Amino acid sequence: MSDQVILETVDVDKSFGAVHAVRSVSWKVYRGRVNALVGDNGAGKSTLIKLISGALQPNDGGFRIRGQETRIGGPAGAFGHGIAAVYQDLALVEGRDVVMNMFLGSELTRGPGQIFLDHKGMLQQAHEVLDDIHARIPNVREMVRNLSGGQRQAVAVGRALIRGGEIIIMDEPTAALGVEQTQEVLQLIDTLREQGKTIILISHNIQQVFEIADYISVMFHGELIGTRQRDEATEAEVVAMIMGRRSP
Amino acid sequence: MLGFLNQGELSLSRRRREQLLFLMDNGIYVVTILLFIAFIFLAPYFFTTRNLVNVLISASLAGIVTAGYTVAILAGQIDTSTQGVLAVATVTTALLFEEVGLSLPLTVILALGAGIAAGLFNGVIVVNGRIVAFVATLATSGVLLAISLFLSGGQTITIAREGLQEVVFIRLFGIPSSVWIMFMCYIVGWVMLTQTKLGAHIYATGADYRAALLSGVPVNRVIRVALVISALTAALTAILVTARAKQSAMFGLAIAGSVDFVTALTAVLLGGFSLFGGVGRIERNLVAVLFLTILGNGLQLMDVATGVILIVRGFALVFAVILSVLRARMT
Repeated sequence: MSDQVILETVDVDKSFGAVHAVRSVSWKVYRGRVNALVGDNGAGKSTLIKLISGALQPNDGGFRIRGQETRIGGPAGAFGHGIAAVYQDLALVEGRDVVMNMFLGSELTRGPGQIFLDHKGMLQQAHEVLDDIHARIPNVREMVRNLSGGQRQAVAVGRALIRGGEIIIMDEPTAALGVEQTQEVLQLIDTLREQGKTIILISHNIQQVFEIADYISVMFHGELIGTRQRDEATEAEVVAMIMGRRSP
Repeated sequence: MLGFLNQGELSLSRRRREQLLFLMDNGIYVVTILLFIAFIFLAPYFFTTRNLVNVLISASLAGIVTAGYTVAILAGQIDTSTQGVLAVATVTTALLFEEVGLSLPLTVILALGAGIAAGLFNGVIVVNGRIVAFVATLATSGVLLAISLFLSGGQTITIAREGLQEVVFIRLFGIPSSVWIMFMCYIVGWVMLTQTKLGAHIYATGADYRAALLSGVPVNRVIRVALVISALTAALTAILVTARAKQSAMFGLAIAGSVDFVTALTAVLLGGFSLFGGVGRIERNLVAVLFLTILGNGLQLMDVATGVILIVRGFALVFAVILSVLRARMT
């Protein structure tokens, strides 16, 4: 494994009352690669990415980002470190248009005290970002509620990129999508990798993971069972790890 | 008959849905114009300069409250403390100006300050107490009404001193100052909601609290600001009502009054806003306020009994709530 580590969880631990969701996980995420995190329901994947994206705070352990010990304090803190999450439900505001969704929380402003929205600047930048990821959205003033699943995914990824996201977390990005839209999203992930972005991909779909990921890490009952390079692993081996058999 | 309100998302084609939403959003313009034309023929003295100015003055008072109320609704907060804030601010204005003898500017600043304090208090209870705004502000309203009764001794405070009422009767191009103040509130509100970062955050927080939070929007601060703006406009209205009447108004008892939370809520919903936040345009509320004011004024001029007018207003709210729920089902 000669790739460079961009993010590392160090003995990260998280409990919710009596439920020990993440157990002392030390995980390495590689720069410019698609790092898949797989596991059965309740394995702790979603909790781990919420810890990385700042949506939750760990009870114990910490993070090392670009080699530096770092504390991720909330989603805004994660954005500051170049980490942006695209949640399974995408966390888009249905009744707002594409541009406002892409800039929500990081709006471009102008004028005295920077209180006025820079509508023109946001429109232009939204077009540029969506073009970069080859998203097919005919009208960026369209309400998000009128977009297809693939288009929504592109909007959410576009928002992550606008925030300067270098590490993009994608939680089950194809879970509710049809065949064509799934291909669109996989193409999108490929484009992001080509652009040098680091992807953390949460997925249940092992075939899909083997199709797109560079590294495959498996969680079981809150623990990290192991990490495999895609080319060195087999589906059978990963499935066995998902069922709790440790990698040698 | 209303079983369709209990269904899930209405299954409509996208085009049909957009058409219906357009109608729901803009129908208020057409209905208001039709009502205006109807009263020209049906209500004696309706289409006279004197009456139309009166309509504007009445609309201005309800309009100012509604402008701020709109902001709270947009942020997803149903603020029911309007009555209480109005009561405290009217008593504060009358007491400070008449009995304490403060100057007009200082009186206005302190009365507005009372509104801001009430809004901040609402914000603390809603945000820090994690209590639904409808319930939290209802409780606050009770406290504020009690405070106003305590401060006034349960009596109306009459203002004999000169200098307050005159301000309300100042006219510019024949239009009273309260109407200009209302227009200013709507212009400021429109700019804030459509052209500023705060406005974008208010819409997002009301439309989808979780999505806004995960996007890094300071949702708690947004809710606090929205509740303060709502209380601030209620206090401003109270000052104008007090000045116009030259006495403190008994808002707690004036259930038939046209300046209250029910009017504001009706106007907001008729204006195409969602009861659940995040949807609507403030300029439509101005038209909705005019609609409600014209309706009350026209019926009064037709000698319709006050009870019947109140029933009509009640049905307007019921209709507005149905519209709002339908809208939510469609989106």
